[in-house]
Amino acid sequence: MGAEQMNVIDLRSDTITHPTEAMRKAMSEAEVGDDVYGEDPSINLLEQRASEILGKEAGLLTASGTMSNLVAALTYCHRGDEIIMGDQAHMFWNESAGVSALAGAQVRLVPNDDQGKIDPADLSAAIRPRGNVHMPPTTLVCLENTHNRCSGAALTPQDTKAVADVAHEAGASVHMDGARIFNAAVALEVPPAELVKDVDDVSFCLSKALSCPVGSVLVGSEEFIGEARRWRKMIGGGMRQAGVLAAAGLVALETMIERLADDHANARRLAQGLADIEGLKVDPESIQTNIVIFEIEPSVGTAPEVLQALADAGVKVTPSRTQTLRMVTHRQVDSADVEEALSRVAGVVGKLREQNKA
Amino acid sequence: MMALIDLRSDTVTHPTDEMRRAMAAAEVGDDVFGEDPTINALQERAAGLMGQEAGLLTASGTMSNLIAALAWCSRGDEMIMGQEAHMFWNESAGPTALAGAQIRLVPNDVNGRISAQDVAAAVRDSSNIHVPATTLVCLENTHNRCSGGVMTPQDTREVVDVAHAAGAAVHLDGARIFNAAVALEVPASELTKDVDDVSFCLSKALSCPVGSVLCGSEEFIGKARKWRKMVGGGMRQAGVLAAAGLVALDSMVERLADDHANARRLAAGLANIDGLTVDEDGIQTNIVIFEVDREKVGDAREVIAALREDGVLVSHSRDQALRMVTHRHITAGDVDEALSRVNGTVRRMAGAA
Repeated sequence: MGAEQMNVIDLRSDTITHPTEAMRKAMSEAEVGDDVYGEDPSINLLEQRASEILGKEAGLLTASGTMSNLVAALTYCHRGDEIIMGDQAHMFWNESAGVSALAGAQVRLVPNDDQGKIDPADLSAAIRPRGNVHMPPTTLVCLENTHNRCSGAALTPQDTKAVADVAHEAGASVHMDGARIFNAAVALEVPPAELVKDVDDVSFCLSKALSCPVGSVLVGSEEFIGEARRWRKMIGGGMRQAGVLAAAGLVALETMIERLADDHANARRLAQGLADIEGLKVDPESIQTNIVIFEIEPSVGTAPEVLQALADAGVKVTPSRTQTLRMVTHRQVDSADVEEALSRVAGVVGKLREQNKA
Repeated sequence: MMALIDLRSDTVTHPTDEMRRAMAAAEVGDDVFGEDPTINALQERAAGLMGQEAGLLTASGTMSNLIAALAWCSRGDEMIMGQEAHMFWNESAGPTALAGAQIRLVPNDVNGRISAQDVAAAVRDSSNIHVPATTLVCLENTHNRCSGGVMTPQDTREVVDVAHAAGAAVHLDGARIFNAAVALEVPASELTKDVDDVSFCLSKALSCPVGSVLCGSEEFIGKARKWRKMVGGGMRQAGVLAAAGLVALDSMVERLADDHANARRLAAGLANIDGLTVDEDGIQTNIVIFEVDREKVGDAREVIAALREDGVLVSHSRDQALRMVTHRHITAGDVDEALSRVNGTVRRMAGAA
């Protein structure tokens, strides 16, 4: 089958999802106003709904998860503070060092285990003693749920509380990068509010598997959101009639959460299939949500080589850590696509191993 | 119940039906991967209109201006702009807070122009260790706080020449650049081709729901893209927003002349109200700034509140100066009605004063 004829199976990210028909309809009919004056009813409703679902007082629509995370750092931190996060945190790896560059905070890493968890003892040891003029104060601890670089693993309410307690005891706030928080809630079968009740604020993405075209929502206390609004304006996130975007978000919160379980099932099937391919390594039992990170054995080639070969075969994936690749399932990949993808991956990997033997 | 006449800003404009249709039907993709065809089309179209090589969709004019500061300035640099600049007054001090640049102000004339001479005099000699380097000069056209005044291509070129001679880049805050182009009856590119980068707003009188476009060289836009990601402006299927922008560039520019005519009509009427002062001849585009006599009428903020009660929404500019901005939701009839209400409010307050 020629490359032009075969359909491309895009497993690069859940960010590639297009808005649904229901979203497009809602967007085109959205009641709007100037949000800088607080007059967009669709945005106001979305922010209210989001905060209700997550058990917080107030919400704030932003242009992206990166923006939400940055706004949180700007709101909590002074220049010269220290932020603690896991060593696989998206905020450290893939947000352009914004919290350091723009919020002036130093980032201190503690280990993430394979399940994306942070050990409260590691956190405790990393918290800076107060009252020492050499030392930056620890003002913020950041968690991530689900964990992107840890194959979409979910933190339980207990995991979160254990870390949050240590942070709060030390006078630091806790921000949760909940880009995929609803994936965690569905996987663990707990209400989303349970997952975030011990953190001070949480951000979640509309534009990932929820399938909205744009956006993220930051939720926290009224006081926090009030300050966050000002920082959002400073970085250019004060949009006008963005109710056209919020309208899609409202549809998503009503209709796009339960279906995440399908993405999780597809991811598990993918992991099982990949585990059966000689030259690839992944533990299917560890796949809790919609992300599958798998290792490439040297006999196959380097990760970039394999990524390119897969792309040529019509399966798009993204790089992750060294010698690993990442696949993310979402509404535009069904179980048939999963089987087809596995078939193509097996073909590509088999061929590469043959070539290397020769 | 009377209808509110909202003259606070052209940002209050709603998308047109044509925009809503285009947004609903927009072909989209993940713009962080560069795969949104509608955004790509808008950016290309915008760059062409501005006489620049490339464009970048951002969430707001504030974001565009901030990205320019981040791209051109290093920490400890100095940027020159007019003392009435929106970037100085109303952008939360972002360029300083986030790009680490000090702002040096030079005078704006009544039309919002800054002079080449004042810029030349303000440029720093950074061979001295005490002294920050001047790396950016910012222009604004039309000028918000100077009643929507315009800079001509000639005015612009003169400042650009001085800035470039001093080794500084020139950023043009062209939030309302199309208003300037229509008022001066020149193509927008005449006003923008000589600067190093320009931003214009989609969400103001062009009436799109969201956004701004930053335009400059391929190299500049490449850098700008990275800064945009850092500040959180990397959106995904924002082609839904870009689609409205394409409609606007095709169909919402010429009509700005109607807003200008309405603004002049407003100014003429306000000039006839005892207790208000406005320079009618100074009204070049869609912004009318007028003064309220404190003794005769009252404090500016009280006047705004009273006008709101009487169904006319205006903004505060500075001290006793109020601001009205015309846009597509304001007809000539609305102008006359607004004038009638304003007259009533002012007479009432003057009687009580």
